[in-house]
Amino acid sequence: MPFVYRSSAIVLFACLFGVSACTHLGGREPEMQPLRLSQLAAEGDAARRASLRLVVEGLDADVARDSGRAQSRYQRALVVDATNPYAYLAISRQHVEAHDFERALQFLDRAEALLRMQGELADEVAVHLDGLRGGALYDAGDVEASAPLLDRARSLAPSVWGDGELQADELR
Amino acid sequence: MAARETGRKKAARKKAAGKKAAGKKAAGRKTAAKKSAARGTAVRKAGARKGLRRKSGGGGEGPRRPGPLTWFVRVLVVAAFGFGVWTSSWLISLDRIVVGRFEGQRFVVPSRVYSAPGILYPGLDAELIDLRGTLARAGYREQTSTTGRALHPGLFRWSGNRLRVYLRAFDHPTRPEPARDIVIRFEGNTIAEIRELPRSREVGAVLLEPELVGAYFGNDREQRELVEIDRVPQHLVDAVLAVEDRRFVTHHGVDPTRILGAVVANLRAGGVTQGGSTLTQQLVKNFFLTPERTLRRKATEAVMALIVEARYSKREILQSYLNEIYLGRRGSTSVHGVGEAARYYFGKSVSELVPAESALLAAIIQSPNRLSPHRNPEQARERRDLVLELMRRQNRLDLAAFNHARATALDVAAPISDAGEARYFLDFLRRQLPEAYDRELLQTEGLHIYSTLDSRLQRAAMRALRGGLESIETNNPQLIAEDSNARLQGCLIAMRPQTGEIVALVGGRSYGTSQFDRCTQARRAAGSVFKPFIYLAALEAQGGAPTATMASFLDDSPLEIETRDGLWTPQNYDHEFRGRVALRTAIERSLNVPSVRLALDVGIDRVADMARRMGVKSRLPQVPSLALGTAEVSPLEIARAYSTLASGGIRPTPHTFEDVTAGDRTLEQRQLELEQALDPGLAYLGVSLLEGVVERGTAQRLRWMGLQGAIAGKTGTTDDERDLWFVGFTPELVAVVWLGFDEPRSIAGVSSSTGPLPIWASFMQEAVGNQMRGMFIPPRGIERFDIDPESGALALSGCPERKSEVFLSGTTPQEICDGKGLRAYAGSDREERIRRARERQQKKRRRESAPGLFGWIRDLL
Repeated sequence: MPFVYRSSAIVLFACLFGVSACTHLGGREPEMQPLRLSQLAAEGDAARRASLRLVVEGLDADVARDSGRAQSRYQRALVVDATNPYAYLAISRQHVEAHDFERALQFLDRAEALLRMQGELADEVAVHLDGLRGGALYDAGDVEASAPLLDRARSLAPSVWGDGELQADELR
Repeated sequence: MAARETGRKKAARKKAAGKKAAGKKAAGRKTAAKKSAARGTAVRKAGARKGLRRKSGGGGEGPRRPGPLTWFVRVLVVAAFGFGVWTSSWLISLDRIVVGRFEGQRFVVPSRVYSAPGILYPGLDAELIDLRGTLARAGYREQTSTTGRALHPGLFRWSGNRLRVYLRAFDHPTRPEPARDIVIRFEGNTIAEIRELPRSREVGAVLLEPELVGAYFGNDREQRELVEIDRVPQHLVDAVLAVEDRRFVTHHGVDPTRILGAVVANLRAGGVTQGGSTLTQQLVKNFFLTPERTLRRKATEAVMALIVEARYSKREILQSYLNEIYLGRRGSTSVHGVGEAARYYFGKSVSELVPAESALLAAIIQSPNRLSPHRNPEQARERRDLVLELMRRQNRLDLAAFNHARATALDVAAPISDAGEARYFLDFLRRQLPEAYDRELLQTEGLHIYSTLDSRLQRAAMRALRGGLESIETNNPQLIAEDSNARLQGCLIAMRPQTGEIVALVGGRSYGTSQFDRCTQARRAAGSVFKPFIYLAALEAQGGAPTATMASFLDDSPLEIETRDGLWTPQNYDHEFRGRVALRTAIERSLNVPSVRLALDVGIDRVADMARRMGVKSRLPQVPSLALGTAEVSPLEIARAYSTLASGGIRPTPHTFEDVTAGDRTLEQRQLELEQALDPGLAYLGVSLLEGVVERGTAQRLRWMGLQGAIAGKTGTTDDERDLWFVGFTPELVAVVWLGFDEPRSIAGVSSSTGPLPIWASFMQEAVGNQMRGMFIPPRGIERFDIDPESGALALSGCPERKSEVFLSGTTPQEICDGKGLRAYAGSDREERIRRARERQQKKRRRESAPGLFGWIRDLL
């Protein structure tokens, strides 16, 4: 192997080693990036994609404090695809925000069941489930059950769950 | 202007109040005068007495007799007084009538029911969703070369494989939609892309405005959309005034010049060709009087017109006129007011009208039926041009606008009549509304009710049911009843299982013949559609082992049960006994005897409890025959119960409306409720059993008919063949079809797989096509294993036969089949062996479903 190649390979390996060591020695896992629904816009079949777009429009309406329009969008999203777990998740978020914990938990259970069935319960989504459930349980007065859930969400995604709430634009 | 009018009105009221006060004062004065007169008389009498005394010695004067003239004057005064009293009371009564109407509820406006909004998105089959029909029904008009170049809300234009539609805005207190100019690109029949202009932004989904599906009419069946005068374009006001009452702003209710002109014109023509009524008189006639042509009526009309003008402003009168005027017929209902007419003839709101359209509306006021632009477009156009001409002559339209309007073709939306497709649904909706919304309120208050109905599915349901019933009668003439009220009946209800929205409801074959809704009001024996409740109760582990698992076998041998009514010996449909049958086979073939045995094993109370948890509310007598569906339930209850399965154990609340609004207020709003009634795993087992019914059992015909994808269902026939059912569902839609006679009698010759099942299939084919979307996905807590079909034991390697089966965790078979004979296996390493077997099976499945090298490269790319 010519000298130039050998040297280049050694330098490359050294750099890679250095980078990985730095990351490891830093002692902190990189922060997880929780799910944003706009990332999913191109996934699934036509109905799922349309349904997701409607959910995103609903979140936009929630950002604009137009909860009536948001609700309508979520309902339409369910008409297009009644098994879209993210529509239930967005509705649950709306109920948590409105401190309607009973409904929030109902929709959260449904979202979770569908996510599990559809094999989409990754950590990026689970963190929202934990956080929202924690929020709903807190409203329900079950502080003991809510604390570990909210703590977990905070520790996994401090940039989103640091304040213990999930804003519409953070899920969008 | 409005302030000025209000000021005028106040002044008028003050004046009226002043008059009243003056009247009172006058009355007071009269009383005082009377008193003083009385006093005077007393004084005179006393004086006379005194005089008599004084002149008692002298000669007296005799009383003077009144002359004939005095009598005449007296009679005249009395008559004048009487006439005055009569006239005053007449005027007062007319005034009361006028005020009563104007100050009270001026118009009766029926409440309207709208469908759920349609949704367009890339990937949809435009033919399947009948996009063209949807646009036509919503009053959208195609823009052609003759109707101008600019696209306005309510118009669409085709160019090649692109459809440009200017969607109208949708008014709603909480979820309004703006008008949107969109371009839809098609690939074949499929929507490939939707973009919104002017920035050509790609959009994922657009909502069409809800379709009007019906209204709650009173006896007069008037359709009216009230409009405020401020929303009426000036050119419409000008058009109406130009042709109907050019001196409206100057006269006081009656126009003598016009009357004179009319008299002269009629004398010349030798008959009545022209009327002399002002707008106010026309309004008075429509509001208060009959159309009879008598002098008395005309006089009353004129006097009332004067009263109206004295009491109310010109704007108020004009607004009332524009809302009252009759402008044509839509099916069995009449179109009143320019708001409704703008929707009916042009598919737009009144504020969006252009001068040519305004002129047409004004033109047809004279004779809406004769000048209907749908029936007599030529005459309508002539009259419209005359109106434009009058507007021009009266300087109400400039030359450019006049020329443009005259050159515009009569472009009216296709006539849409209420075909009565959703009448059963409307009735059910009314029953679902809170009690405060009584019939009278709905008929008068002009509420807007946004329903869950999917108009396309509703039409599909109606066609499927009617077509199916006719076909059955054609093939079975013995079922044809001579009396139209005794014909074979049926109903179809479709619901979204996840949300409980009722999307289609046909309660009978003809609403005109019978308004009784067999889907929501009738209670009929459930027959075999009740059986899944038994199996679910048996599969559910309630604090211990379940009564049965999916690998269980049932006994299909003669059975005798002592009941209060004597010995009961249930039979299978073919009167055969099969001995030992797998649990799946028993339900797939709808075997009665093993099902009854299983119900007895589980306990009839638990079966009834399961039915109730899933949504059955009717009384369920706890007798052994309940297992065979002798309890009477409604198709709606059955739809709800099966929805609980389709939605993973969540019991939906069936509902027909989303919200109710009045103007800018939302009066009612429905919240989506989710109640977990069953464990998702148990619900999945139920679905899996019913998928088997479609794959191998009594509903196999669905596959022969070409329906593909995830479908589960159950046929149902009662013992006496009086009721035929089919309940079928996909992950997104549950539909129930029931057939039978209202006076129960046998439907011999027709079975549930040849009667209701094809109706269901026909409905689904039109509603969603042949390929069902989605799949039933096993939830957490469901495990799949291979079992030995002969024994039901867990099939390990070496077992000669195997089939895949689903189980709730912890209910896997206790026996194994490994080629060394069947044996119970409960040793310490049982779990370990099962785990290894499961891993092997999972690996095998992954291998089978792996895409191979080609698939790997494709995924990589």
